Amino acid sequence: MKVLKNTAFAALAASALLAAVPAQADDIEQVGRAAYLEAVTGKKVIFVPLSQGMDLNQAWTAVWQRHAARYGFSFEVRDPNMDTAAGIRALQGAIAEKPDVLIVQNPDVQTYARALKQAQDAGIKILQINMQSITQTDSYVGNDWIEMGRLEAGELARTCLAPGAPSGKIVWLAGVQTGAANIYMREGLNQILAENPGLELVSDQPADYDSEKARQITETVLQQHPDLCGIMGIWDNAEVGAGAAVLAAGKQDQVTIVTNGAGAHTACESIEKGLLDVVYNFNAPIQAEIAAQQISEFLQNPDRPAGSEKTVFFGPITRVDKNNASGRNCWKIDELK
Amino acid sequence: MSLREPAQAGRHRRFRLTQEGVVSLIALTLFLAFALFLNNFMSQGNLLTLLKNVAILGTLAVGMGMIVVGRGIDLTMVAVMVVGVAFAIWLSSQGFGFGEAVLIGACLVAFCGLITGILIAIAEVPPIFATLAMASIVYGGGRVAFSSDVLYAPAGIGWLVAIGSGTFLGVPYSILILAGIAALVALFLSLTRFGRFIYATGDNPHAARTMGLPTRPVQISQYVLAALIAYAAGILMTGLVSGINTRLYNSTLIYDVLLVVVLGGISLSGGQGGVRNVLVGTVLVGILINGMTIMNFSYTSQNLIKSVILLAALALDAVINPRDEQTSQSGDI
Repeated sequence: MKVLKNTAFAALAASALLAAVPAQADDIEQVGRAAYLEAVTGKKVIFVPLSQGMDLNQAWTAVWQRHAARYGFSFEVRDPNMDTAAGIRALQGAIAEKPDVLIVQNPDVQTYARALKQAQDAGIKILQINMQSITQTDSYVGNDWIEMGRLEAGELARTCLAPGAPSGKIVWLAGVQTGAANIYMREGLNQILAENPGLELVSDQPADYDSEKARQITETVLQQHPDLCGIMGIWDNAEVGAGAAVLAAGKQDQVTIVTNGAGAHTACESIEKGLLDVVYNFNAPIQAEIAAQQISEFLQNPDRPAGSEKTVFFGPITRVDKNNASGRNCWKIDELK
Repeated sequence: MSLREPAQAGRHRRFRLTQEGVVSLIALTLFLAFALFLNNFMSQGNLLTLLKNVAILGTLAVGMGMIVVGRGIDLTMVAVMVVGVAFAIWLSSQGFGFGEAVLIGACLVAFCGLITGILIAIAEVPPIFATLAMASIVYGGGRVAFSSDVLYAPAGIGWLVAIGSGTFLGVPYSILILAGIAALVALFLSLTRFGRFIYATGDNPHAARTMGLPTRPVQISQYVLAALIAYAAGILMTGLVSGINTRLYNSTLIYDVLLVVVLGGISLSGGQGGVRNVLVGTVLVGILINGMTIMNFSYTSQNLIKSVILLAALALDAVINPRDEQTSQSGDI
């Protein structure tokens, strides 16, 4: 009797389950997914970078292309390859096509300012990535460059004002002086210099994001200031030149080289080779994910007019030295695709 | 009367400063001024640094000088330098040994030079357009092939590290390489028959051809040689900073190279000057940059001062050696 009852119960449960499964397949709907897909599918996003030859750009586009392919919006890169005139043409072209979102990486604070305003007036939502213009648009996602300057200079202040430091002399190897990142990093550096009178800035020259120029400046400065304590820079791929000059002079234990970068594995290898000491890693893939969130927000709110809200989000910054130059602090582009 | 005239002309010539002389004097003046007013300028270390910092510029300028002597111009040098070395580094990442990769890269570079040479010598495209277009093609090809601007040489290549930081009797290898290449090209230009053909071709290509000189093979080999010299400069750069930055193609480097050549006194109309002129121009630029870096001048003022001094050198030469119908040649730019 008991067996019969159990069997009947099991049969009942099984049939209920069988009946429920197809019904659920019809009903299960992740909340908001359909609306999301509808909002983003077929939309158009155009990216005007500085140059796709840089590691940070490759990381960003790898992430955005993944999002675009998965959710069916189009993503195009109009690469001006460091030519600002070509960049303005690319922007004008993009404005004419009226994409849903325009992503821009500015060469400096002025060059694209007017074009960005035009695009905004034409009703295009604009996301500025990592390099800002004086025209503020819907969103900026990227580094807090003043904080970056403070972090790097602060690192040198700790090292060069510690007892036993060779001197308080430091060098600032800028990139291009009109670039937003440079202007703001210099401000951060100035703040730290004001807070630490013992620090002495002995050289302030731009290396134009070029390792050979960085090497030349460093080598000359090392001759003038053999007791140099630290060098801060703006891009790991340029400061390897400073590192080469320091290595050639045999002063790798004396001079601390601090810079920042997208977090590519090449930076970790430079740390291993002893060319760099500390890299403040702004993790370009994570920046790209944050930007992707911002893009999806734009696409899901088409009724908000362009320029109606202006948001800023500063991405993560991780301090990387030889103790943690591994794993996710050293991405390879193929891992992001 | 007839006896006095040549004597006068001789005396006149003795007092006449050439452009090379003008530039040497300016370089010397700057050198003395910096030596007096800048601390550590005269130190041995700084003078070596000064030379080391113009090693790449100087090497490229030696190649360019040889081309300009033959009444050509090679705007592909920087493109060939960065793409050739980037190709070699890429090959080494594909499993080739680095030495092997460098040799294959040299073949590619020589091939580029060959194409440029054929365009100029046989298709008779004016050198400035042929090389401008080739530079774009070479760099563009590189951009398509290599995704990144900056390519790092594999670690642990002993000879490459030595080029960058090694010294021989206290002199950095990079300076010795510049000196070696300069000496080879100088000997080649002045002592070999082929070198003299370059002068003849540069002086008057039509006359040279009418006389039966092999002007076409001469021109083609010049461009192959210039490409290989550019490649050597690229290897030197890779040794110095452990990688190559292909974006240098977009910089003003190629114009700096041309400027050094013209500044030293090699006329763009060809047929005159030599490696010594190139070295004088290189040293002047080296002294200027070194002094201004020590004085911590901003980038903008450095460029301004550099341009003013270089322009002054050219203007001074124009005053001292005015051009007239006899001294100017056809093809002067």
